[in-house]
Order: sequence, then structure tokens, then C-alpha cells
Amino acid sequence: MTTNTEFAKSCRFPHMVGTMIQTRLLLCLSALLLLSTGRANAEIPGAPQTRPIALTNCHVHPIVGPTIRKGTIVFENGRITAIGHDVPLKKKTEVIDLQGRHVYPGMIEAHSQIGLKEVSAVRASRDYSEAGSINPNVRANVSVNPDSEIIPVTRANGVLVAVAAPRGGRVSGVASVMQLDGWTYEDMTLKTAAAMVVNWPSPPSTGESSGLKVLRELFDDARAYKAARNADTGTQAFDIRLDAMLPVIAGDVPVLAIAHKAAEIQAAVSFAVEQKIRLIIFGGHDAEYCAALLKKYDVPVIIDSTHRKPSRRYEPYDVAYTLPGRLSKAGVRFCISGSDRNETWNTRNLPYHAATAAAHGLRRGEALRSVTLYPAQILGIADRVGSLEPGKDATLIVTTGDPLETKTHVTRAFVQGRSVQLTSRHTRLRDKYLEKYHSQK
Amino acid sequence: MQKFIRAVVFLLIPAVSMAAAQSSDQNVGLRKNVPNVWALRHATVVVCPGEVVNDATVVIRDGKVSSVTSAGTPPVDARLIDLTGKTVYAGFIDAYAEVKLSSDGLNRTARHWNSNVTPQLSVAQQSGGTSENEQLRMQGIVAQLRAPSTGVVRGRSAVVATGSGDPNQSILSDDVAQHLELTVAKRDRENYPGSPMGAVALARQTIYDAQWYRDAWNAANAQPELPRPERNDALNALQPVLSGRQSIIVETSNELFFLRADRFASEFGLNVIVRGSGHEYRRLEEISATNRTVILPLNFSQPPNVSTAESAANVTLESLLHWDVAPENPSRVAAAGIDFAFTTDRLSSTDDFLKQLRKAVARGLAGDSALKALTLTPATLFGVSDQLGTVEPGKLASFVITDGDVFDQKTKVVETWVAGERFEHAAPPRADLTGVYEVRLQKTSAFADRLYVELKRDGKKFSGRISLSPIKETTGEDKDLPKEAGGKKKEETERDTTDIVSLKHVQLRDFTATGQFDAEKFGGMGAARMTLIFSEMPSDKKMDVVALGDVVWPTGQTSMASVLRISGIEKSDGMKDTEDKEKSPSPASFEVNFPLGAYGRSAKVTPAGLTAFTNATIWTCGPKGVIKKGTILIDDGRVIGVGRTLLVPDNATIVDLRGRHITPGIIDCHSHMATDGGVNESTQAVTCEVRIGDFVDCDDISIYRQLAGGVTTSNILHGSANPIGGQNQVIKLRWGSTGEKMKFSEAPTGVKFALGENVKQSNWGDEYTTRYPQTRMGVQQIFRDSFQAAQEYAVRMDAWQKDHRGLPPRRDLELDALREIVEGNRWIHCHSYRQDEILALIRVLNEYKITIGTFQHILEGYKVADEMARHGAMGSAFSDWWAYKFEVYDAIPYNGAMMHKAGVVVSFNSDDAELATRLNQEAAKAVKYGGIPPAEALKFVTLNPAKQLRIDQHVGSLESGKHADFAVWNGPPLSNFTRCEQTWIDGALYFDRGEDEAHRQRIAEMRNTLIQKILTSGEDMRGVGEDDDDPSALWPRHDEFCHAHGHGHDEHGHSESH
Repeated sequence: MTTNTEFAKSCRFPHMVGTMIQTRLLLCLSALLLLSTGRANAEIPGAPQTRPIALTNCHVHPIVGPTIRKGTIVFENGRITAIGHDVPLKKKTEVIDLQGRHVYPGMIEAHSQIGLKEVSAVRASRDYSEAGSINPNVRANVSVNPDSEIIPVTRANGVLVAVAAPRGGRVSGVASVMQLDGWTYEDMTLKTAAAMVVNWPSPPSTGESSGLKVLRELFDDARAYKAARNADTGTQAFDIRLDAMLPVIAGDVPVLAIAHKAAEIQAAVSFAVEQKIRLIIFGGHDAEYCAALLKKYDVPVIIDSTHRKPSRRYEPYDVAYTLPGRLSKAGVRFCISGSDRNETWNTRNLPYHAATAAAHGLRRGEALRSVTLYPAQILGIADRVGSLEPGKDATLIVTTGDPLETKTHVTRAFVQGRSVQLTSRHTRLRDKYLEKYHSQK
Repeated sequence: MQKFIRAVVFLLIPAVSMAAAQSSDQNVGLRKNVPNVWALRHATVVVCPGEVVNDATVVIRDGKVSSVTSAGTPPVDARLIDLTGKTVYAGFIDAYAEVKLSSDGLNRTARHWNSNVTPQLSVAQQSGGTSENEQLRMQGIVAQLRAPSTGVVRGRSAVVATGSGDPNQSILSDDVAQHLELTVAKRDRENYPGSPMGAVALARQTIYDAQWYRDAWNAANAQPELPRPERNDALNALQPVLSGRQSIIVETSNELFFLRADRFASEFGLNVIVRGSGHEYRRLEEISATNRTVILPLNFSQPPNVSTAESAANVTLESLLHWDVAPENPSRVAAAGIDFAFTTDRLSSTDDFLKQLRKAVARGLAGDSALKALTLTPATLFGVSDQLGTVEPGKLASFVITDGDVFDQKTKVVETWVAGERFEHAAPPRADLTGVYEVRLQKTSAFADRLYVELKRDGKKFSGRISLSPIKETTGEDKDLPKEAGGKKKEETERDTTDIVSLKHVQLRDFTATGQFDAEKFGGMGAARMTLIFSEMPSDKKMDVVALGDVVWPTGQTSMASVLRISGIEKSDGMKDTEDKEKSPSPASFEVNFPLGAYGRSAKVTPAGLTAFTNATIWTCGPKGVIKKGTILIDDGRVIGVGRTLLVPDNATIVDLRGRHITPGIIDCHSHMATDGGVNESTQAVTCEVRIGDFVDCDDISIYRQLAGGVTTSNILHGSANPIGGQNQVIKLRWGSTGEKMKFSEAPTGVKFALGENVKQSNWGDEYTTRYPQTRMGVQQIFRDSFQAAQEYAVRMDAWQKDHRGLPPRRDLELDALREIVEGNRWIHCHSYRQDEILALIRVLNEYKITIGTFQHILEGYKVADEMARHGAMGSAFSDWWAYKFEVYDAIPYNGAMMHKAGVVVSFNSDDAELATRLNQEAAKAVKYGGIPPAEALKFVTLNPAKQLRIDQHVGSLESGKHADFAVWNGPPLSNFTRCEQTWIDGALYFDRGEDEAHRQRIAEMRNTLIQKILTSGEDMRGVGEDDDDPSALWPRHDEFCHAHGHGHDEHGHSESH
């Protein structure tokens, strides 16, 4: 694997000087070799960690505490075992001197259609919206294509975990948390049922919306179904939709309500309180106006995008840029997603959403947490990812600087201790055509 | 034809006055000769605005005014009408109404190829009457301009009288004006034109065609040996417009369309009248400068819904301001010296016409001015001032008769006369006998001699009450009572209710009211019956005897009765006063800003004088590179010096920008903002006759938001729906000024081309499979065919220019543009993705010796960068977009750097109103993906797009002599943590964070004031979410064929979102 990571490192475009030709030859040979296998992409999933790895001489940014300058981070069997200065290393430990680079947890995109769609305009490559409006039973992870070309592209910029979420209809289905490495969707699945996606109905100006009525019926039916099945009389036949609602009414799986306007957010929160279920707001453009409500019931918000136009003409031009900062000040739990702006194909640009928020009022540390620890907490995976702490997964990135800055490069990445390739369709095509121009010289 | 008819009318006058109205209709049965000479007496006659005759006698003979004299003696044969206390005005003219004309049958005549061009249609030939005439008369309207309602070049209107008569009598003038609308009602992907841009192009071409038609026929008539030109009824019908004999009325939907109509008229020297929108107050100065007459609608909007905080949050400031200011539009138009008339068009109901007019008067419009706009102005405008407009001998007896000043809220229109036909309005119908009456009976020993009776009607049900003491009228459910009577009622006293018994079996029939009542309270035992015979019309006058009758008491004894009407007596004048107070209009709360609404400017932006910006890090993007602690000196809109050590004149204003960075203003080489003409004319494969420049939307808020991102210049492109699209427009983001003033005057002209999936309709939906081309093979052929045609066109035109021999060739605006392309005078900006199509276009261009302006998107440029460089092609790309459709699956973020390294001038663009606000961050992607040094990467959004648009001698870098267009940043411009602080264009500050902060506060204050004003106005609000009609909202400001804009929405409408 060392070869592969070195390979990835040497491929980095800005550094192609001097020994470039040699490297490129090697690279092209490898590329040809990989392409000849006929796989959708050439990036081989990382091999399981077989011995401890220590990243030394690096600045470790644990997110949960102060940066450890010139420190060491050690992981074994995919889990972080130690972070600090003068960390004792086991004998077989592979030591990688990072020469002053930075180590951060892999970033987490809290909402996308990663693996569920490849080329958005090509119908055959779309697998995120099932027919009908009530689809609680569908689960995203089973149709995540591990060979999607988008996955290596995303990973290469330090986003190592992403939610694959169904969309469309009223109840779209179950969103899964995927780590962006693995041979199969099962390898990739970090959490199968992270949330039940619901497109929250916009309340009408008066009266009850038909959408809300549908949701109430669904929840009532699910409770009745649960009671009937529990009664064990054998008379209640299996209902695949209602059965899928059981973890939601039990409070095990939160509802991820797509809600932007104040009235939608208020309705979603009130419904969650009424139904005694857990709730995550996705979108949340007006969330600041609902801060008291959100705080009282501890409902977190996934901001769907910082790079978004104001939805009302008179709103300040930076209203979306300042939303994270405003929610932070108001004490609302939140994280930042880039999914409204990026679509899935540019999930890699997640860190820049956080950066823009930092340029407009969000503290830098908060900005970083809003794409690492906070999404992990909101998605219920903070025991595994989102920060660098002993016991957590070694899902981390090595960078040349602040990952929120565009100019920063990710030079290595590990998913559960597995060193993953940072090449992609993009670097392959780049290298192929660099060869064209090189051969012309 | 029109003149002919009028001449005949004049000749007939003496004859008509001696006999009854003549008709060419064959008489059937007995002849009818009803006396038709009238004298209106004792009236106050407003002959014309400002000229009043008191105690006038108006003599009307056979439908025409024969004399107006003060205290004159009526002729002996006249039927007399006493108009004491009444005022007579010239009847009002509704200057614009639309009627739907049938185009059936056009296909069998020599028509125009496009069904939107039907100038030969004539209202006079199809439609005289309307069911609305009665409603119009109630509003005092005696004549109406009726215009065709559909199409672009629509047809001819007629002035029609609103009497009951047949078309032989009611059409006062035909072919009054030609009608035009410079837009289409809805998007259309198949039928040209499918966009406003296309509509203007079609109208423009039609005028050229009409000129050609004239010239061709003149030539053919002069030289019989020439080929015979085609016959075309449509082009023929436009000849009076071309010569200026016939005016052309252009319907507009906002103030920007007004200015467009004017530009269109000026292009051809047409005599244009504008059907206005009610938005004229928003750009009054510019509109006044056009010197056009405007026909104003009175569609003052209902207040937007602000009933809850949430509904208010979704209302724009613009909409709040519009509600507040719109009723002053007529008075402001008048004050600006603009000639105007009024129309009922765009009112939700014709019945509101007078009400809204009075509102306009209450909000500052002078009565005389309003009257002129209702009478003289339209009469003159439409060439019917010999028939209408004043109360003078020789004119039609078309009047409005009122019981007071017609512009007073309380005044009623009593009668309307239409060409001698009398229509009375205010008199209650004869059958309506409802009211309160005092019934005086013959004195008897046993029974009451005075009763009070109330007769009521509710729909078809009658009821009544009877009492010994006066009854106050009850509720307002008596809709048929005069308005004042239906008003507020004081609670009846105990005594009243105990006294009152109900009248049963009430019947009101023609002149008779009957009923029975329990006689106990009136001195009898049993039922009494009452019959009242209304010999006189009930009137509002106090204590008139209106009926006689009797009461038959239970004993059989009959008391004769006389009946006095008393209803109306109780109406106190005090109540009127309070109503007046309630409705006393308050003037608009805020000055109009530009554009109206949030972030609009209250004053013109003025350039700073001689100013030095010091101590900044200056990214010049020029030969001087990045200067730390540098100074930039500007004056008169230009940079006059940049450097580390710069001699700053003593008189210069010094701005210390310590710690800040200055870059050239950002230039976006691919944008679709600020246009409301529809980005795509997608109906045909070649549409280079359409022009974005016709539709610069200076009100688009995106302009302001992008200024906030440091953008100063933007290339507004046509979309990618067709291989050869429309002409682009480079603008400067001069927020606050008009579209014309935003145009980058030095920028050379260009055109949009497109290749690949969009033009071959791959993602339009399964039904789009027949338009040529459907393959990349066909796309290339479109170019060859077009270029070849353009060359041959050029030969033809030049040959005729030389000797003017033969039939003049037809000027074709599409071929004109293609010719400019072929001759190198119009730059191609070509949407492109795949390397094969890029190369194929380069080959065709080489063949015709055309150099491309830019390849746009060019996401596979990295595959053929060498070929691009060899051709001299530049590339304007997305930094890192990919995978949104199949042809961009090979797009890579290294593309920009790779093209750059191959020697191609590269820019990064937005193609997106959001992305455009942070193009500095996009430039950083060239550093990340390809290692371009930051100072060079910044040129991807400054100097390089300037080069691509061929404006780099003016903008793109900070060098002496160039425009002072620059942005000030609070940190390094390529950092994601950096914000734009100021944006300057032409040496004037167009965006400033501090000023923006002030805007926000001002917006909050204005919103609050106006919301309070609405809540306390007592006016009915619109429904939640109901908005003003915004014509620009109909049209997308993105290329719907190009890339995903359905962010966050379900993407199933793929033909729409990619």
C-alpha cells in the first residue's frame, strides 16, 4: 500500500517538476494495468490494517481539544490508540514521518446522493427516488454503487464519510451513512439507518395540510400495526411500509425533515414532539427564527448549503453565509452540508461551505467542527468518527494545511486505518492527456 | 378608409338633422320615427377641462350636440330634461381594451409566415359590440378603443361607442392604430417566438420586411420587366405604420418594457403610443425623456398579505412600496409632463374604474388633468376629436351626467349618453318600492290616523313592519336601497320594538304595495289590510307624497291614506364626515429608489474624484504583478497610476487601505443574470437574430449580490438550446441605472453558439426527436450551411448596394448577424464539452477563416488544448463541475490549468447567479488543481475574461488608463476566509459593506412602516402568497438546458433542469 500512497502523492499536479517524467511513466503503466481489469474505476479499496501505524512529526487536530503541534497519532486495527507527544510505539509499528503536515478527522457530508446517482441527467444512473410518495421501507445503502467515480473524487479532497439519502415523495426512505472506501456497499456502510427522510409539507395559510394528514395517518397506522403485531394473534399481516416505520416510532431512527421556511420547521418540531420521535431538520433556511423551539427540544439542523442564494429578495446577500454563525450564536445544534449547491458530483467542496461561513461570522474552530464532529453527533456516529480520539475509527486525512482552504491538498487518507488511494477518474484523465502533450514535446 | 368614413359623416350632418336617423337597412313593417331632439336644461356643463357653462341648455339633435348656451331657450321641438344640480361632462374614452379576434381564414389569404404577425386583422371587421357596454356606461365611458388581444404584431384597433347599437352605428373610427407587444405570453419550445427576445426579433424583422415589401413593389411597378414580388396582406397592412400615418400602440407590462417600446420605435421612426403598466413612476425621468404618450391602467394593487409575521416575511419590499406609491402613478406621470390617457384594462373589474380614478385624484392628480386624460387626450390621439372629447356643437351627444364633481368619492353618475342614446343609472327601478313611509290616514274615532311603514325586500321575498311611531330603517341587507340608507344603524330602542308589528303577506307589484297586519295596537281587533298605490316615483326628497292608498280595518271601515317617503331623512351629515376622515389619503411614505425595493439606490452613483488608495496589497493582474503596500490613484473613472511608490497629488483624497487587498473587478465571462427576455429562444436551430441586449433587466437583485462578490463586468449570454443562439450583451454592474446604461459600450458584439447534448435535444424529453440537428454530425452541418448562406447573402446585398439594380434584396437580421460572424465582426462564444465537437467546430471555422471568441464550458478542452491554442481559441470554463450529464463525465478540475499551460487564455466563469458571487474562490481552484501561481490564477477571473471579451484594453487589470473597476478585500483574494469589502466601477463606489449594513436597517424600517400602514389602512389584503404580476418572473435567468439548477429539488423534471 505504501507504493499506492506514494504514488498518489507523487501524482499531485503542482509538484510535477523534475522527476515528473519517471513518475508519469510509472503512473501510466499503473493506470493501464488498472484500466485493463475492466473495472468501473481503478482505485483499489484499502487493505485492512495489519500492523500499527504511527503518523509522526505532524500537527494533530483532534477537533475535541487543542492542536497537538509536532505530535504523533497512532492507530491499530482501524482504531486510534494514542495521540500526543512522545507516544510509545509498539515494535511492528509502521512509522510515517509527515514532515510537518496536518492530520484532521475525515470530513463528513451529512446529506448527499453519493453512490445513488452517477450522471444526473442520465436516468439509468439515478437510484435515489422510488415511485410513490410513501417509501419508508427503502434503504439507501443497498443501491450505493461502490464503483461510482464520484466516490474517489470526493475522498481525494478529504471527505471520507457521506450520507447517501433517498429523496422525492413525502417519505423518501432511509438514509445511510457511508464511508468512502470498501469493496461492497456493506464494507462502506457505517450506519444503515441514520435517518428517515421526509419532505416536510409546507403548511397552508389556514387549516391542516394534506401532507401533514398523510404523515399523521402513517404514524397512527404504524402504532396500530405495532400493537396488532405485538398482540401476536396472527391476524395482522406483514406490511412492509409500516414495518419500516417501527424504528422511527420507537425513537431509534430520527426523522430527517427537509424544511426551510419557519412554518415548516415549526410544524416539523411540533409533530416530532406530538409523536415523541427524534428529529433532524435539513435545510433550515429560517432556522434562526425558530431557535428557541429548536433549542427547547434539542432538534439539530443540517444546513443544506452555505453557498446558496437568498430565498427572499430583500434578504442580505450573505444571508446563507451567515446562517451557521447565527445558529451558533443562538445555541442551536447544527452542522454544514454542501448538498444543495454541490449536487453529489461536487460533494468534495463541502469544506468550502464551512470556510465561507467562517468568513461571515462563524468561529474557525466551529467551522471545522461543523463538517466533522457536529455531523457525526447529529447522525449518531460520533462514537466512531468526527474527531480524533483514542477508541474512534482511524478515519482521517493528512493535509498540507487548513482543509477549509481551497489551496490545501490532502496527501493521504485512512478509512478505519486502511490507507486509501487519492487518485480518481480526474487524475487518471489528467495523466492520460498530460502524456499526450508530453509526447508532443 | 378611415378618412373616407369621416368625410362621409360630415357630409351627412345637415341631412341627418332634418330627418330621423337614416339607415341603409331595408325597412320592414311599420316605420319608427321617435322624436329625437332633446334639451338638457339648467345643467352645469364642463365643455372641456377648465371651461364651464352654468345653467346651460344643451340641445341634442339626432345624436349630436347642436348647441350649448347659457340659460338658452330650448327649441320648440325638443324634449326637455331638467338637470338642475347636475353636471354634464364630455363622455369618457377608455383608451384601451382588448378583444379576441379570430384568425380563422387567414390561412386562405396572403398572410405572414408567422401566426404571431397579423397586422391585417381589424377589430372593426370582426367585433363591434361587447357585453360590457353597460358596465362601461356606468363608469361614464362612452367610447372605447378596442384592440386585438393576441400575437406580437396584432392588428388594428377601432374606436367603438358603448351604446346599445349595432356596429353600423357604434364604430366611430376603424383602423385607429396598429398594435404590438414586444413579448410572448408564455415559454414555447416549438413555435417561434418562444421568448420575449424572439418576439422583439420577430417584430423588428417584420418592420424590415414591410420596408422591403414597399421598396420591392415600388421597384417592380417602376420596372415592369422585374420579377413580380410576393403579395403579402400582413406586410401591406403595415404600410401606414411605416409612413407614420398610423400610430402603433405597444402594450407594456412594466417600466422597462416602456423603455424598450421607445427604443423599438426610435429604431424605425415609428409613431408609438405606450399602453402603460402603472409602474411608470419607477423610471419617470427616462420615461419622460421619451416624449411618448402613455395609456395608463388604474390597477392599483390590493395590499399584499401581511396579516402574520410569516406571510409578511414572504412579501417583497418592492411589493409593499408598489402598494403605497402606485395610486400616485398618474399624478407623478402628469407632473413629469407626460401626456396620458386612461384605460380600464388590467382592472380586476371595469366597475372599479371611477373608484380607482378618484383614488388617483385623491392622491394628487388634478381634476382637470384627469378629465383631459379621459376626454381630449384620447380623442386627439385616436383621431376622433371631431366626434368626442368636448361638449360642443357638432360632436356626438356623448356625455357623463353626475350629481357633483365627478372625481368626488360621493358623486354618482346619474346618466350616460352615448351618441344621443340616453342611459339613466341612478333612478331606482320602478318596481322597487322599498323604503320607510309615513302613512297619513283619514281621521276616524277608533283607529290610528298615522302609521309608519317599512317595506323591505330580500331577494324575491318581501317583508314589512308597521308602527305608530317613526321606524328607523333596519339592517343593511336591503341591498336595493340607496347606499347611504343601507349603512350603519343605531340599535332600536325598547319602545320601538314593542310598538312595531310585522306586516304580513307583503306584495310589491309594479305600482302597488299590499300587506296585512294585526290591528290591535292601532285600535282594532283582528287583521287590517293596507294597499298603497305609488302614483309618484319614490324619490330622495323629503316628505313628498308618493302614494295614495287605503287601510281596511277589521271592522270593514276603510281609511283613505296618503303616503310620504321618509327614508333618507335620518341620514346624518355627521356620518359622512367621519367616513371622509377614514379615507383621507396619505401620501406615499418613501421616495422611489432605483430599482424599486430592497437595496435600491436613492441617488445616482457619482464617481469619486482624484483619489489615492494607499497601503493595500494590489494584485494588478498587469505587468506590475502583486504590489505590497502599494497605491492606486484614480481620477475621472480611470486608473491614473499604480505602484509601490507613487507621487500622490496634494489635492487627492486619500483612502488608507492598510491590511486590505485590491484586485481588478471580477469579470464573469458566462452569465444569464440581468435579463428578462428569456435566456433561450429555443424554437429554432439558428436564432442569432435575437438579442440579449433588448432585455437587460436592471432590476435583477443578482446584480447587487454579485457586486458584493467583487464582480464588475458580466457577459450575459443566450442559452445553449440551439447551435447558433442569440447575441450576447456585456454589461457593467452599474446597479441603480437602467439597462441601456449598464451596457459595456466598448465591448464588441458577440453571439452564442452551442454544441452537443443541448442542441441535439438529448435531455429535453423523449418527445423532442425531430428538430434538426439530432446528432453532433448534424450540428456541424448547421454551421456550414449557415456560413455558406451568410457569404452568399453578403454577395447579394453588396451587389445591390453597388448599383441598386433589380428587386431590392430582403434584409434578413439572422443573415446579417451571420454575415458579421463570417466577416469577423461578431465574436462567437461557443458552449462546448466534448473534444470531438470542439475540434469539428475549429475545423469548420478554419475553413471559413473565422477565429472563435471563446469556447464556453470547454470541459474537455484539456484533451485538445493544443488544437485550441493553434486556432487561437480561448477557453472559459467551470473550475470543477462535472458528471451532471453524460457529456461532462470526462470533465476534470485540472482542465483550466492544462489549457493554460498549453497556451490557451483561460477563464473560470459562473453560469450561475450564486457561483458568480464568489468567483475569487473559483480562481483558487486553479491553484489547487494544477499549481497555477495565485497571481496568475486570479487572472482567470479578471484579465483573462477581459481578453476573451476583447475588452482587455479597458478592464481586467489595474493599469494606468484603464477603467477604475476594482474590488477591495479584507484578506488575500483567493482565500475562502476572505470577504469583499467594496466594489468600484468607473471610479464610483457601487458596493460597500458599510453601506450594505445601512441598507439592511433601512429595509427593516421601511418594511415595518409599510406593513403598519397596510394593517391600519382597513384595505382588504390579498391572499397569502398572492403576488403582483411580475413579467420578469415568467422568464428564467439561467440556461435551463445547460446545467442543474434544481438544487435541493427533485430532479425528475430533467428536461427542465439540465
